[in-house]
Amino acid sequence: MIEEPYRWVEAIANRAEYIETQLASGSPIVALGYRDGILFLTLGKTRQKLFEIYDRIAMGAIGHPGDIERLRMAAIELASTEGFTRSAADVSLRRLAHYSLSPVLKTAFEQVYGAPYLARLLFAEIGAKQENDLFLRLDYDGAIATNSATFAQTRQDFGALSGTRQSTELMEKYLAAEHSAGATFERALKLCLDTWTVGQLALGDSGVKELPAREKILAERKERLRAAGIEAAILDRDDRSALRYRTLDETEIRSALGD
Amino acid sequence: MGHMGPLAPIGTAPARTEIPLTQATTILAFKFQGGVLVAGDRRATAGNTVVYDRADKVLEIDRHSIMAIAGVPATAWEMARVLEHSFQFFRRTQLQEMSVDGKVRALSKLLRDNFGFVLQGAGVVVPIFATYDAGSDPAARLYFYDAMGAQFEVADDAATGSGSPAVRGILYYENSWGKKPLAKLSEDEAVTVALRALDTAAESDTATGGVDRNAKIFPVIKIVSREGITTLPEKKIAAVFKRSVA
Repeated sequence: MIEEPYRWVEAIANRAEYIETQLASGSPIVALGYRDGILFLTLGKTRQKLFEIYDRIAMGAIGHPGDIERLRMAAIELASTEGFTRSAADVSLRRLAHYSLSPVLKTAFEQVYGAPYLARLLFAEIGAKQENDLFLRLDYDGAIATNSATFAQTRQDFGALSGTRQSTELMEKYLAAEHSAGATFERALKLCLDTWTVGQLALGDSGVKELPAREKILAERKERLRAAGIEAAILDRDDRSALRYRTLDETEIRSALGD
Repeated sequence: MGHMGPLAPIGTAPARTEIPLTQATTILAFKFQGGVLVAGDRRATAGNTVVYDRADKVLEIDRHSIMAIAGVPATAWEMARVLEHSFQFFRRTQLQEMSVDGKVRALSKLLRDNFGFVLQGAGVVVPIFATYDAGSDPAARLYFYDAMGAQFEVADDAATGSGSPAVRGILYYENSWGKKPLAKLSEDEAVTVALRALDTAAESDTATGGVDRNAKIFPVIKIVSREGITTLPEKKIAAVFKRSVA
C-alpha cells in the first residue's frame, strides 16, 4: 500500500505520531554555557542520560535505551576513529551531526518497513571561548537545531531537550529571558534546575502553556528535588587537560545549591 | 653455483642478533608522600648525535596514568597514543574506568606485539607505567616492563634507560640510608632527589640530558596522585634546582 505516494506520507505521519507519543514523557535536559564551561543537567529517574562522547563533546538523550545506546556508540566510534587517525582537533560536533548521525536517523525514520530510532539527542561542544560553544539538538527524523545565529535568531548560549515541542519551546523561552553569559557555576546550576522545572511543568496534556510564576517554579523545584536525584556533568573550558568532560556527584551539586 | 643437495642447509644460519638492551635516556619514578613522581630528561639521540634537546618522554595517558618511555621514540609515542585512545574508548563506551590490571595488561600486550621489530633490531621500548588505583585498596602504583612485555610492580622506585644504573644506585642509597626513606619525602625533597639523580646520570651517560644549565632546559617531572596528574611548572623545578642542586 505504501507504494502510493499518499500512503507513504500517511505512514510517515503515523510513525511520527507514534514516536512523539513514546517520547512525550521524557524528562527534560538542559545544557547551559557559563563562565567556566558548559553545564548539562537533568533530574534522573533510574538510568543515566548524560554521556561523554569525545574530549570536548557531551550528549544528553531521551527515548528508548536501546536506541540511545546504538546512537551513542555510533557517535563515540565515529569521533574516536577520527581522533585516532587524524587528531582530536579534527573531531567536530558539526561534522558528526550533519554528515553522520542526521542521515542515519532520517533514513531509519523514512524506511517505513524498518524500525525508527525512538530517541532525541542534545549535544554540546565546548569551544576555546564561550562564543565558540556549539549546542545542537538532533531529532528522531534527523532534523537539526543549533544555537548559532541566523536571520531569525540571535546566538544562544544554551540548548534544551524535552519530551514535547511545547515543553522544549517554553524551556528555551525561559533560558533566553534568564540567562546571562558570564554566569557563575552556582548561578548556572540554579538556572538549569529552574529551566528543568519549567520543562517538566509543560509536559503532558495538562501542562502549562505559558511561563509559570517564579513562586510556582521554586515550589515545584523543591518538591521534585526531594523525590529525584540530580544528574549533572560539565564540559570544562580549562584547556590544561584535553579531557573536558566530568560528571558531578550529588554532594557537589547539593553543596553548590546550598541545600 | 652452490651445491643444492638435500643435505645443504636451507638459507644461512641467522647471525646472532645483538638486541640493544639499554636505551639512550634516563627515566625514573618513585613513590613519595604525595603519590608517585615520574621524571625524565629531555635529550633524544641517534647514535652519537644529539638530535633534540626538548623531547618529552613522560607522557600522560589519562587523568591518572603516566607512561614514561626509554627507547625508540617513534614506537614509544605510537604506543602511548594507542593506549590513550583505548583507555578513553573503554571509559566512554562502557561508562566505567578500565581497571588498573586492564591498563597494565594493555601496555604489556603492545610491547609483546612489538617484539618482532625488537628482534629485527629496531623499535625497542622499555617503559615505566605509573597510575592511581582507586579500587578496593586505593594507592598510587608503579610498574616497569621489559622489552618483551613482562610487567613488574615495584614497591619503591624504578628507573630505565642508559643512565639508569647510576639512578638506581642513588635511589637505593637514598631509600636505605638517606635522611628519610623515599616514601616519606615531601614534594620539594622528592624533586630534589629526582634532579640530583638525573644530573648524576648525565654526568657519565652522554645520552642523558640532565639539566642544561646554559639553555635552562629542565627535566619533565609529573606527579600521580588521587587528584590526578600534576605537571610541575618549569619555574618550580628551576627554583628547587637553584636551591638544592646547582
